Amino acid sequence: MTVAHPVRIGLLRLTDSAPVIHAHTAGLFAAEGLDVTLSVEPSWANLADKLSYGLLDAAILLPPLVLAMALGLRPAAAPLIIPMSLSQHGDAVTLSNTLAAPILAGGRPTAAEAGRRLAAALRGRPRVTLSVVHAWSPHALLFKSWLHAAGIDPQADVDWAIVPPADTIAAIESGRIDGFCAGAPWGAVAASAGVGRTVALSSDIMPGHPEKCLAVREAWADQHPDALQDLLRALLHAAADCADPANAPAIAATLAQPAFLNLPAEIIAASLPGGARDGVGQDTDVCRFGTPEVTRPTLEQARWFLDQMARWRDLPASGAEAEAVAARIYRPDLYEIAAVRAVGGV
Amino acid sequence: MVARQPTCPRVPPVKVLIADTVHLSDPGHLGDPGRIVEADLMAAGATQIVRLGAGELLADAVLREAPDLVIVDMARPDRDGLEDIRAIARHAPRPIVMFVDQDDPAFMEAAIEAGVSSYNVVGASLPAIKPVVQAAVAMFRRFRQVETSLHKAETSLREREAIDRAKALLMRQRGMTEPDAYRWLRRQAMEQSRKLAAVAAELVAADKSKGGGS
Repeated sequence: MTVAHPVRIGLLRLTDSAPVIHAHTAGLFAAEGLDVTLSVEPSWANLADKLSYGLLDAAILLPPLVLAMALGLRPAAAPLIIPMSLSQHGDAVTLSNTLAAPILAGGRPTAAEAGRRLAAALRGRPRVTLSVVHAWSPHALLFKSWLHAAGIDPQADVDWAIVPPADTIAAIESGRIDGFCAGAPWGAVAASAGVGRTVALSSDIMPGHPEKCLAVREAWADQHPDALQDLLRALLHAAADCADPANAPAIAATLAQPAFLNLPAEIIAASLPGGARDGVGQDTDVCRFGTPEVTRPTLEQARWFLDQMARWRDLPASGAEAEAVAARIYRPDLYEIAAVRAVGGV
Repeated sequence: MVARQPTCPRVPPVKVLIADTVHLSDPGHLGDPGRIVEADLMAAGATQIVRLGAGELLADAVLREAPDLVIVDMARPDRDGLEDIRAIARHAPRPIVMFVDQDDPAFMEAAIEAGVSSYNVVGASLPAIKPVVQAAVAMFRRFRQVETSLHKAETSLREREAIDRAKALLMRQRGMTEPDAYRWLRRQAMEQSRKLAAVAAELVAADKSKGGGS
């Protein structure tokens, strides 16, 4: 008789935590024989630390952060692997009402036009402080490339702050930051709280950009190869459910629970595929889940992140060395085994 | 289970029931606290201690108090006392530590067969009670761990069986493919905010009550 295998998974209060939360609440992990404990954490740094110290076996994480840990840019890092990508899109640039109003006059323009309008508005103003959810995040890379394209030098022209997603509302309300780039649904939460408006969506800034991944401690994956496959299979099924527009209301209701996002279901639904309704969802991007293009962890994704990281910071390694590190982290081989067996739903 | 904060490994409470027949059976010692000292038990990891009352049956006290560990202190090997222990082992099994004064190999065998998990021949005083109780408490904790994981494994297996049966049922009765059947079950679970296994078990049970065989 096999004992249900314990797995500790960490995540944040974000729409793209949906595949893991849904797999847990609907019993998809249990159906694969896993005894999963979810841990809702306050910040990306917390998740990285808990993985490093072995307090978590796996987490939904930012791919650039996983790469940065492996490249030695963050201390006390345990080796991690990425056996599955989880989502695309879903981030938004949200600015204070003062900054956003002239940009949104006449409706939200394209991301490129919004950037040009922001650049015009910033001329002759005191420097603004903008925040990202972590130094090593898709958000930081997208935000900087958007500003750069609009003629704003992200290093010279603005000040930066790190603000975890759930803290963005208080930070922009207090005036500590003038704008942020965070994952859904926090842009929509800011709008509904009346403290800011979303001016650009990450799906418009960089269509098809990879977003969150499943990071697993390499030692855990080596010791429990079968449990890892069970985990991936459950998540492939869960991701397919999250991608189905017909499921948006049920998934939103699950995420809304106090133990998870603890936010209104209508706001969350607007950031799920097929969940947007008239009047709601103006201020959030829609997360993309479930298809093999989204879930397969590829070296192309790793290369894209490394190129972007090299563009805005000095990577400590050469491109070739960094790519060798990435090849050890990204594990499409493990993904393929699970995808073949999880014929249902994918 | 959802934890917002990491839960520290908490030491579970251990309740000990003392049946001190040395003193209970001898009217001259009524009111005597006995040779098993509560402070020693606390030091050995016990968190709550109760004693068998005069004239009370051990099996009744075990049912009432539901202790995690039972300590039986006998002056002489007493075969009638083993009946009580047999009743506990049958109806409410838990670790039983026994102290006796006289060495009697045949009685030891009978005691272990009856369900005693730690048999100790001691003199008039009990100098070594702490390590004995410590070992029994550790053994009890291990026993509970095994029991819990066994229970989890049984539940998990039963749930997965129900899901497989429900899938088979949908494939046979509604002509669904396996992926479609699994997707259908997941949809039901989502819409009803229930676990997949509960939805599957209900479907299988409903089919059985309609007389469908599987």
